Amino acid sequence: MMSTPNRRVRPGRVWSRRARLGVACLGLVALAAAGCSSASESSPNQGKPVNAKDLVLVQSIRSLSNPYHAEWAKGGEMFAASVGMPVQTLTNEGDSQQQLNQIKSVLSSGKTVVLNADPNTTSDTQAIVRAVQDAGGFVVTQWNKPGELTPAQVGNSWVAHIGFDGNTGGYQTAKALFAGMNNTGGIIALQGILDDVPAKERFAGLQKALSETPGVQLLDQQTAHWTRNEAFQVTQTLLAKHAGQVKGVWAANDDMALGAIEALRAVGLAGKVPIVGASDAVPEALQDIQAGNTGYLATVSTDAYWQGGAGLALAYQAATGKFDVATAPPASRSFYGKEFLVTKANVADFLKTPTPTDLAPDFANPQARNVGPLQ
Amino acid sequence: VSTAVTTRATTGSPAAVPLGRRVLDAGPVLALVLLVVVFSLVTSRFFTLANAGSIANQAAILLVLATGATFVILLGGVDLSIEGVMATSSLVTVLLAANDRNGNHLGYFAVLVGTAVGALFGLVNGVLHTRMKIPSFMVTLGTGAIGIGIATVLFGGQPPRLRDDGLRAWGTERIAGMPRLVIIAVAVLLLGYLIQKFTRIGRYILVIGGDEQIARLAGVSVARYKLYAFVLAGTASGLAGAMASTQLGVGDVQVGSGQMFATITAVVVGGTALTGGRGGVPQTLVGVLLISVLANGLILVGIDPSIQRSVQGVVIVAAIAATAWTQRHRLRVIK
Repeated sequence: MMSTPNRRVRPGRVWSRRARLGVACLGLVALAAAGCSSASESSPNQGKPVNAKDLVLVQSIRSLSNPYHAEWAKGGEMFAASVGMPVQTLTNEGDSQQQLNQIKSVLSSGKTVVLNADPNTTSDTQAIVRAVQDAGGFVVTQWNKPGELTPAQVGNSWVAHIGFDGNTGGYQTAKALFAGMNNTGGIIALQGILDDVPAKERFAGLQKALSETPGVQLLDQQTAHWTRNEAFQVTQTLLAKHAGQVKGVWAANDDMALGAIEALRAVGLAGKVPIVGASDAVPEALQDIQAGNTGYLATVSTDAYWQGGAGLALAYQAATGKFDVATAPPASRSFYGKEFLVTKANVADFLKTPTPTDLAPDFANPQARNVGPLQ
Repeated sequence: VSTAVTTRATTGSPAAVPLGRRVLDAGPVLALVLLVVVFSLVTSRFFTLANAGSIANQAAILLVLATGATFVILLGGVDLSIEGVMATSSLVTVLLAANDRNGNHLGYFAVLVGTAVGALFGLVNGVLHTRMKIPSFMVTLGTGAIGIGIATVLFGGQPPRLRDDGLRAWGTERIAGMPRLVIIAVAVLLLGYLIQKFTRIGRYILVIGGDEQIARLAGVSVARYKLYAFVLAGTASGLAGAMASTQLGVGDVQVGSGQMFATITAVVVGGTALTGGRGGVPQTLVGVLLISVLANGLILVGIDPSIQRSVQGVVIVAAIAATAWTQRHRLRVIK
């Protein structure tokens, strides 16, 4: 504390600090320039097969703090191991700008990037695929995509986009829920973030099932933003609002369903009110479905291991020339992946962690679960 | 000398408080009453015992967080590490109590350790802020990220489930019709109030927030009391993380998602100035109730989910504007 004023007036100090700042700025400029030049140098070889040793495998996902993406990452690692390469996992904690920056950093490393990405939002997809296109890499994207944009429009670097039809999952889980309620009574619905495409599709699936089942009424629908603690609070409020009338709970994903179960437990209804989650198949949901004591009836699995492994495999095959992007039909570059309804009957299959042997056929043919072109 | 200065600056005799200021202090309370009246008129489901219970339950964790955060905001600082601290505390608590991942079964001691982890984060925040003179928002933003990082490592890809029935009961069961978490929250609130009102820590924090220079000239050890404020806030976040885990039954990195913003909003809506030196724990209770009643009421009334957030925002801005209007000449800094 005593020495602070002295330090401020010593001229030599000020100069050297300024000098250091200058050097630092120069360094930054140089780095930026290096980044740009290496990115533009590699652009001419767009879409051409690349020697495997010049490739770097990368997966970009939200975080490792949820089971779904953790499984995705493991799937990617299994594929990488199958071709004897390491894989770099980039996590962005839901920060779109960070996701793009991380991808741009690996793109400027000089090697050809093979990327399997889960873009945070629909608008991020375009920025990511264009960055990869400019740098001459290969990218497969999943889930979020602007409706009108197709891989073919952007170029051969955007190998493919894999989506999942939320309508089916929402519909199937709703049907499973209604069956558990003998097709009568009131339900509440917990939605995801309202402008997310999967949230809209899954809710549309629920509404279709409702229109076919006149005995079941939708008492209320609210968003819980995909999260467990919000679902807990919203469910608690809805249970107070519709006291005694809630005979079933439909949630657009498992995390929200698991939050709702705790809210039911707090009022002594856990196990008495059936509940479903329309996506994710997280381990806790699977365990609950197997145990059968919490009322959890069904979820939907997109098989995160497959998404991580086969997505990367598809990009890798494009990079090495096995999958010829230039001549591939649109239906194999923009397609729905297969979803599985998980109920007590088949839950045991989904509780097992797949082995590399289990996934080997999908690594060899990443299109095996192509169930049709994206709508 | 220092005692005389602080006493005059903080307490003052009630008679000396002008009427205008008393009306202004009542602003958030009036807003709360108004909300309750409006919701009660619009829907018969609002003003019921069952719904009061669910509001109390939803307010419990927020109340603990906001009570702790009040001390930091009274200083004119801010604690952005809430969600990170909750995440680490949540995982530490669950992994030390009976769970499905390892053989630990420390019971209540696990909650104690989880809370202590929060206190440790607070200590680190306080030391970095006071000794290294880093602004509190930067320090706490960083330590919050560290908290998320530690929690993610402990998480290991899937949430450990809490298997201790005794602890689970604290999150889900009631004593005499009162959710147990609410009892904890009320205890924390009382403790916070006692600290603020009757200890040197509480009063010096107000003085420092009012004018740090004067506090320093009066011989108050500013750094030490700032440190205490951050430790109080960290401890509260740690406890809140453990509470959330007993409620949800898992150790989860996302256990505090959205709580940081709600906490700061609650403290400020209650009437504690972001510039420091004004407000306190009782105001925070009002702020927490305002936020919880609003979220609950909008659902009961049946406002369309897609515009609920906007309506919440409008009401909060209106409440703050109403509170700040009469006091605008007294707000020295608005940044």
